Amino acid sequence: MLVARGICKRFGRTVALDRVDFHAAPGEIHALIGENGAGKSTLVSILAGRLAPDAGTITGADGPLRITPGTAHGVAAVFQAPLLFEQMSWEENLALGGFRRSTRLRPEALAAAARAAHDLGFALPVPGRRVADLAVGERVRLAILRALSFAPRVLLLDEPTGALAPAEVEQFLDHLGRLRRDGRAVVLVTHRLGEALTVADRITVLRRGRKVAEVPAAATNERDLATLMVGELPPPLAASTYEGAPAVLLSLADLMLEKDGRRLLDGVTMEVRRGEIVGVAGVEGNGQDALIAILAGLAAPTAGRLLTRGALALIPQDRDLDGLILEMPLWENLLLLEPLRRRFAPRYWLRRRDAVEFCRALLARYAIRAGGPHDPAAALSGGNRQRLAVARALATQPEIVVAHDIARGLDLAATRELHRQLRQYAESGRAVLLLSSDLEEIFQLCSRSYLMSRGRLRPLGPADRQAGRFGLMLSGAQG
Amino acid sequence: MSARALLPSLAALLLAALLVAVTLLLLGVSPTRAATGLLDGAFGSPLAITDTLVKATPLIFCGLAVALAFEGALWNIGADGQLIAGAVAAGGIGPRLASWPHPLAVSALLLVGALGGGAWGWIAGWLRARRNVSEVISTIMLNYSAAQILAWAVHGPLIEASRAFPESSAIAASARLQLYFAPSRLNLGMALAAVLSGLAYLYLYRSAWGFALRAIGRSPRAATFHGLATTRVIITTLVLSGALAGLGGAVQVTAITHRLYEAFSPGWGYEAIAVALVARLNPLAIVPSAIFFGALDNGAQAMQRAAGVSAVLVQVIEALVIIILLAFDSAAGRRLGRGLLSPATPDSAEVDA
Repeated sequence: MLVARGICKRFGRTVALDRVDFHAAPGEIHALIGENGAGKSTLVSILAGRLAPDAGTITGADGPLRITPGTAHGVAAVFQAPLLFEQMSWEENLALGGFRRSTRLRPEALAAAARAAHDLGFALPVPGRRVADLAVGERVRLAILRALSFAPRVLLLDEPTGALAPAEVEQFLDHLGRLRRDGRAVVLVTHRLGEALTVADRITVLRRGRKVAEVPAAATNERDLATLMVGELPPPLAASTYEGAPAVLLSLADLMLEKDGRRLLDGVTMEVRRGEIVGVAGVEGNGQDALIAILAGLAAPTAGRLLTRGALALIPQDRDLDGLILEMPLWENLLLLEPLRRRFAPRYWLRRRDAVEFCRALLARYAIRAGGPHDPAAALSGGNRQRLAVARALATQPEIVVAHDIARGLDLAATRELHRQLRQYAESGRAVLLLSSDLEEIFQLCSRSYLMSRGRLRPLGPADRQAGRFGLMLSGAQG
Repeated sequence: MSARALLPSLAALLLAALLVAVTLLLLGVSPTRAATGLLDGAFGSPLAITDTLVKATPLIFCGLAVALAFEGALWNIGADGQLIAGAVAAGGIGPRLASWPHPLAVSALLLVGALGGGAWGWIAGWLRARRNVSEVISTIMLNYSAAQILAWAVHGPLIEASRAFPESSAIAASARLQLYFAPSRLNLGMALAAVLSGLAYLYLYRSAWGFALRAIGRSPRAATFHGLATTRVIITTLVLSGALAGLGGAVQVTAITHRLYEAFSPGWGYEAIAVALVARLNPLAIVPSAIFFGALDNGAQAMQRAAGVSAVLVQVIEALVIIILLAFDSAAGRRLGRGLLSPATPDSAEVDA
């Protein structure tokens, strides 16, 4: 039981939360939905004791809560960017959870973790891997296991399903149902309305820091919730209208990559033509990172051929770690991309004024909410950071854009906006390669798609849309 | 890089002064007397002022060397060794330049000094870039190597003609930087240091190389992803860093000591780390920061005479400034510093609501 009343939180001039009431009741799944920047993560951080509210009270089962991070009050949280011990192995991270309080993971604790993972349908990572080397999906799965290991009375989950495969999501949501039957309180932050409607008992909608509705899930529907969240939704996308010659812009032929005796890519073959958006579906950790590394020129394939016609720009999956340098001003972040670097630092000196002006124009054109080109990237919200990364990639009009999981953590409106931009870009006679673990995204946006599993690629046909079978394959449970 | 970034440094300075004043009061010593003595020794007369500047000069060179490398998260602890390497190179050829015209001889000496320091930096850079050897360890070890080579040189190959003293022969008169402001020891080295701080600023904040360097320093991962973190940048940076320190050594030889001896550097390269940290790695702020440390060094004796406080107290002050500054940088300290100095700014994680 956790009751928050009149929670206010400001960051500088931004009001993140404005007199928000919220409660998590035992035996109830309470979904928290809202757009990017609505205040969901801030509220979760406050409930978890990671942030102190400026005003308001939080009461637990044993009376008012003093804010202490950790699990003293039976609250465990999985944050959007999982808080893990980066330089330790995943087993050590679990050992520091509740399975067994010890710096070394004993066999019985590992067995408990494996059982929990099995219940959830999660695959455990390769033994001994450092967390820093894990893919996003693996990290989220690990954070969930860690949180569950405390057997919390209140479980806070901030966008846990974004990085999971469809089959995993199903099993994970089932498991939440089991926790509810055990009388635990679950708070689920999500931007997937369908998910909130199916699994939750109660739904609270936040909009720009205010609570706009709290309704029983049975008494509402997707359309009403969407309207509460964003007002009006933009119309769905129409089919691509490019009618020029479908010349091949990117071709991969039998690409192999081996590293430390592991085969990361195994005979990857595909073509991307003008006017196309080609999708690569798959769970993280099945070779996506290797493919990106090769496309970025960071790794050379062990065998096979990669041909590109024209420039290629990448929108990396992790905008905060790979895409941007948060401490640097926005205009300098633009220069990270090689073509822009060539343009604004052609020889020895930075063409500072031009770059700043260019950045200003880009911010305006892509409606990126920022104070100005000299703001550090850290001052932007997640959605605006992603907009910046996309704007930067499209700015030099490359022939090929490779987008990796670009909708992660974005809300409906922002996702649609990004999708519209990519669609438009492909229709202008260029090509987009989209890597994503979100099937809906792939099927909605792509003209053709492939499935990536254990370093292999195979084309997806209409028959694969049967979600059940597809989901199983996607999670790698079946050959 | 705004002036605002320097506020924590000023706050640390004031806090350190306050703590020392309280300590002196508790010991029954008048803090004002100590402060007056210190200021008098550092700035009390034209000669005191110029000597403060002279003491600050090698600290500027080494401070720039440290700042440049630190901006790229290359932890060059080796400014001392690089300064010595530059000094040995300069002191080695100095006596042989008698027949050279003055401007040429001085330039040659400085150039050789920069090359010597640069070579010393290159070793660490190569080891780091090609063999993945931590530059912290290699530069510290190279400090010892440089000090031992200097000791060997002044006892052996470079020893002065009478072979009575463990020091090198004086450099040729033509290679000496003239003291235009005699009897003050103020020399053009200070001007060169100031010019270099401007150049270092331009390099860091206006050049393509500086951009790459800062990107690597702030996020090696993003810099790698975008193809910026190349071995070339790492090696070049440590060579430039070493060259700056080496130049400082050469200036010291040509303007002040005119010869080499065993304890040539009192640890400038280490003190320079403090100088650079107080300056928040901003090359332009290195000059005042170095002058501050130079003034403490220069005023220490006068303070001892005036207030009967041991001259070692200035080292306590220096240490306090650094500790307080580091405390500001720690999470709790940052929050405190933020509350004291500027309105709250959200952490990235917190905005990402």
